[in-house]
Amino acid sequence: MIYYAMQRFLLSVLIVIVAISALTLMLHVVPGDPATMMLGARATPELIEQTRVAMGLDQPLPVQIVTFFGRILQGNLGTDVFTGRDVSDIVFEQLPYTLVLIAVSILWSATLGIVLGCYSALRAGTWLDTLLGILSVGTISIPAFVMALYAVLIFAVSLDWLPAIGAGQGFFGGAVHLILPAFAIGISWVGYVARMVRASMLEVMGAPHVRMARSFGLTEARIVRVYILKIAVQPAVTLLGTGVAHLFSAAVFVEVIFARPGIGALIVSSVNERNYPVVLGAVLVTTAIIVLATLVSDLVVALLDPRQREAL
Amino acid sequence: MSQVQTAVSLPQPTLLARTLQGLAGNRTGTIGFFLVALILAAAIFAPWISPYDPAAIMTGPRMAPPSFDHWLGTDHIGRDLFSRVLAGGQVAMLVAAAALGAALSLGLALGLMAGLGPRWLDNLLLLLFDALRSFPTIVFGLAVVALVGPSLLTVIMVVAITSVPIYARIIRTQAQALRNAEFVMAERAMGASLPRVLFVHVLPNVLGPLLILASMDVPLVIATEAGLSFLGMGVRPPTPSWGVILNDGYNFIRNSPWPVIAGSVPIVLVTLGFTFMGEALRDIFDPRLQKAN
Amino acid sequence: MTKTKTVSMASAALGRRTFLKGAASTCLFAATMPLGSRIWAQSGQTLRLSAYADIDALDPAFYQNGYNVDVMNCIYTKLIRYKEGREWDWELESAEEIEQVDDTHIRFKLKQGLQFSGGYGEITAEDVKFSFERAILHDSPVKSDWGPLDHVEVTGRYEGVIVLKEPFQPIWTIALPYGTGHIVSKKAVLDATDDGGNFGMTPPVFSGAYVLAEWKPNQYVRLTRNPAWTGPAPGFDEIRILPMDDTKTAERAYEAGGLDFTQITLSSLAQYRQDPPANTTIKEYPSLSYVWLGMNLDNPALQDKNLRQAIQYAINVKQIVDAAYFGEAEPATGLIAPGLPGHRDHSAIPVEGDLDKARAFLEAAGGPPSQPLTIDALNATVWTTMAQIIQAQLGQVGIPTQINVQDSGSFWTLGMESEGDRWKNMQLVLNRFSMLPDPYYATSWFVSDQVGVWNWERFSNPEFDKLHEQALRETDPDKRAALYRQMQGIMEQSGAYRFLTHEGNPVMYRDSLEPALRPDGLPLLPRFSGSV
Repeated sequence: MIYYAMQRFLLSVLIVIVAISALTLMLHVVPGDPATMMLGARATPELIEQTRVAMGLDQPLPVQIVTFFGRILQGNLGTDVFTGRDVSDIVFEQLPYTLVLIAVSILWSATLGIVLGCYSALRAGTWLDTLLGILSVGTISIPAFVMALYAVLIFAVSLDWLPAIGAGQGFFGGAVHLILPAFAIGISWVGYVARMVRASMLEVMGAPHVRMARSFGLTEARIVRVYILKIAVQPAVTLLGTGVAHLFSAAVFVEVIFARPGIGALIVSSVNERNYPVVLGAVLVTTAIIVLATLVSDLVVALLDPRQREAL
Repeated sequence: MSQVQTAVSLPQPTLLARTLQGLAGNRTGTIGFFLVALILAAAIFAPWISPYDPAAIMTGPRMAPPSFDHWLGTDHIGRDLFSRVLAGGQVAMLVAAAALGAALSLGLALGLMAGLGPRWLDNLLLLLFDALRSFPTIVFGLAVVALVGPSLLTVIMVVAITSVPIYARIIRTQAQALRNAEFVMAERAMGASLPRVLFVHVLPNVLGPLLILASMDVPLVIATEAGLSFLGMGVRPPTPSWGVILNDGYNFIRNSPWPVIAGSVPIVLVTLGFTFMGEALRDIFDPRLQKAN
Repeated sequence: MTKTKTVSMASAALGRRTFLKGAASTCLFAATMPLGSRIWAQSGQTLRLSAYADIDALDPAFYQNGYNVDVMNCIYTKLIRYKEGREWDWELESAEEIEQVDDTHIRFKLKQGLQFSGGYGEITAEDVKFSFERAILHDSPVKSDWGPLDHVEVTGRYEGVIVLKEPFQPIWTIALPYGTGHIVSKKAVLDATDDGGNFGMTPPVFSGAYVLAEWKPNQYVRLTRNPAWTGPAPGFDEIRILPMDDTKTAERAYEAGGLDFTQITLSSLAQYRQDPPANTTIKEYPSLSYVWLGMNLDNPALQDKNLRQAIQYAINVKQIVDAAYFGEAEPATGLIAPGLPGHRDHSAIPVEGDLDKARAFLEAAGGPPSQPLTIDALNATVWTTMAQIIQAQLGQVGIPTQINVQDSGSFWTLGMESEGDRWKNMQLVLNRFSMLPDPYYATSWFVSDQVGVWNWERFSNPEFDKLHEQALRETDPDKRAALYRQMQGIMEQSGAYRFLTHEGNPVMYRDSLEPALRPDGLPLLPRFSGSV
């Protein structure tokens, strides 16, 4: 198990390196560059060239990549093109908001999804099951940003029950400001999780050891809790681990619509501004988190079910 | 003797028959099939059933609600929404077919290489797949769009590339499983070449499940396109896509909610249709697939 | 020139709306009280509005963009400032006297007793000299605001003379009352930086009515009263500015009660006029920015002037502006908006265009181009809408076009030679520049020197260049205005320009608020009064 964990960890590091190198490559082939964006209207060709050299953009690409990684190992993610602040400061200021948003979204959607999935499986075939099925799929299908938009218009503007924008102050304020965004992101996951849990529960419910337990007279509730849930939850765990990437994407839209601070909004605006250091720093951190999440979920699954471990 | 004869002479039910049989007990599946059929028909016949040219501006008052002249109303420059939705359906189906087709082909090729090829290649490809999956799709999309400029092709590319890892992994698993199967080793010992093994044994086993998975990914593809359009990086105007209609509608939502409704309802219908249909097919043909994700 | 959308200055959102609702009700009451009590009632008030971008510069000599200057207005002082109201003019702020002695000399005298924060003492002419010369000394990208500034002569503790190499009228409109005209303490800046250069995002000293109390990047800027300020007290104890790059988001925030003042989009204006939020005032202001369709004069497909004129006449500006701005903006006649000297009453080409003439020109050009012409546009709905309408209009006379939508990183480097070869393939471009209140700022982007920098049409006309130089020095306002009108005429004649609109800057705010706004609707925050 330890060996497996180490292997997976090393692999994860490699993945991050590959991803970032690819991104650096792409960014540099893309038209537009930070020097021009920063200098704006007053940019004369000489000044642009001067600034480019100062930023190290005139170096050949491989050199730039190596320099970037070298600096990362020293803990320096670079400097923001416009304000001169450390990218690590900027990224780690914004990151907690996104993490909280994603965590809360996962929490509520996974909980509700598992509950609904269980319920559907236990009442399989009834009209309730079909109804829940349609609802699950229905919510999956609305893009997160449409959901966010409707949520804002209905709950914040028309009914004025909840705040429309920002992250709020303090614990209570923050929590209230999270409601609509977490709702918008999580709603499609409820459906996914519910479907997965339902399917895997149905499978396990028919398994021999469960039927045996039933014939011994154990109550349905106990059977569910002890035997079925553990196995049934696995696919959901895997799903959520690998879904972190999708959640980040969804967070991008939600952060824009709700004017919340966060990594998603940071990436969009810095790509637009060609603020390379911030883009690279933010994507590095994001990718690392996603890879970490995948790693953790793989390890959890491997822990629960040794059969699932993949040989490397 | 007659019993054996009977057992041997019973015909296998055809694909169609199995499908229909399977659907008979499956309410959602039937709904799914109908929806998909409706959507495909609308997309194919769009040019003939559109009342207006989707790009024609000022065909009526701007931001008008649904009326007899304009079944879904008009958008902010007076274009008929119903025609645009139909044309958007064409775009959606095109993107889905092209992107998924490309992803499947590429995934097939890469997956086979990974599954049947040397170990180092397998590890390298797996690394690439995982790296790709670790990227938030949107970031990848933004970078590609900034690189190549927004257009239909760009959207197809982005969606295809981000979908490849999933299919490749599945094919790889299948290929690896079969690589060590006895009958395959036997054939190879007898001199059968690798390609023959691939085509005769691996592909048939893999194609079915893949197509089912692909059909369930159609909604994802369409949602990705809508997302890119929402950020202003989708297809080139004046091409209508549901995402573009949504984006334009969002900007003018106070003036009229109809464009947003017009843009979002087809997406919901497509998702319902393809997901239900896909699940039904999977239940009928290959219940094993439920674990394959 | 800033590249982003029209500034929206709506209030920043705060939590605890209920608290503020309570506060608002005490203040409504207070409005009827005598002055003394009113001031009491104002204490503890926070003004919330939004900006279309988060600040990225706090050193006035390196201000870069307008959204930074809005904050600098609060935390630093200047010799003169813009007057609020509907006419462009200036008034004294920290200067007791200021006058133009001759073409190249401006004498000023500071008020006595003005203090810097942080114990850096009194504001003197030395500080003014230091503040003004820095931009040029340290090669700031905005040093051109000072134009031909030579140096500042200190003639007394509070007196000095600004010495120019050549006459430069715009110094009164865009340098002294704006960005680079803000005054910082020489000692404080030298303490903070070794050479007196850019001090980045941590101002070492404040000279204005407010201090920067807190900056949470991408969340808000919090300004609080400056205890060292000796001028008239600002209306609010605290100002919160929230960055929101989408004006529609700011509108929603206002409606949900999170902001006190916001800009609104032209497309929402009609709705808001019909059905305004509760207790809200809506006011319309003209904007200074200018939107136009430009043509690349060096592109092979656009060499024939007849083709360019065909395009000019085929475009119906009224229809475009009506559709893209819901009838709320006016067609433009040139670069210079109404209210500034040099504004033209009408353009040479009629606002609706002329399809017959267009077709005639097209025939003279030998028919439509074989390949579709490309229209480059920024990827916001308003530009794509305009581009699509232009496409339809050109299609009417038979000119095929294709629309290239770009994100801002790609778009804003399109015509630049330093960025590679994309400028060669650019054909038609739908562009928008923002503006400062001096006509020189508009024409300066279209001189020959700017070709390959910001002059993407590669328009090079020696007479235009000469008139531009002349107008910089011309002291007679009528003559100056005539020169600018002439210049715009030359631009139109070249066939490479079709002027579209100046957009507009409508704002909405709580009835109880009394905002102080520039003639283009941008807020002068320290002078806001009233209550929220």
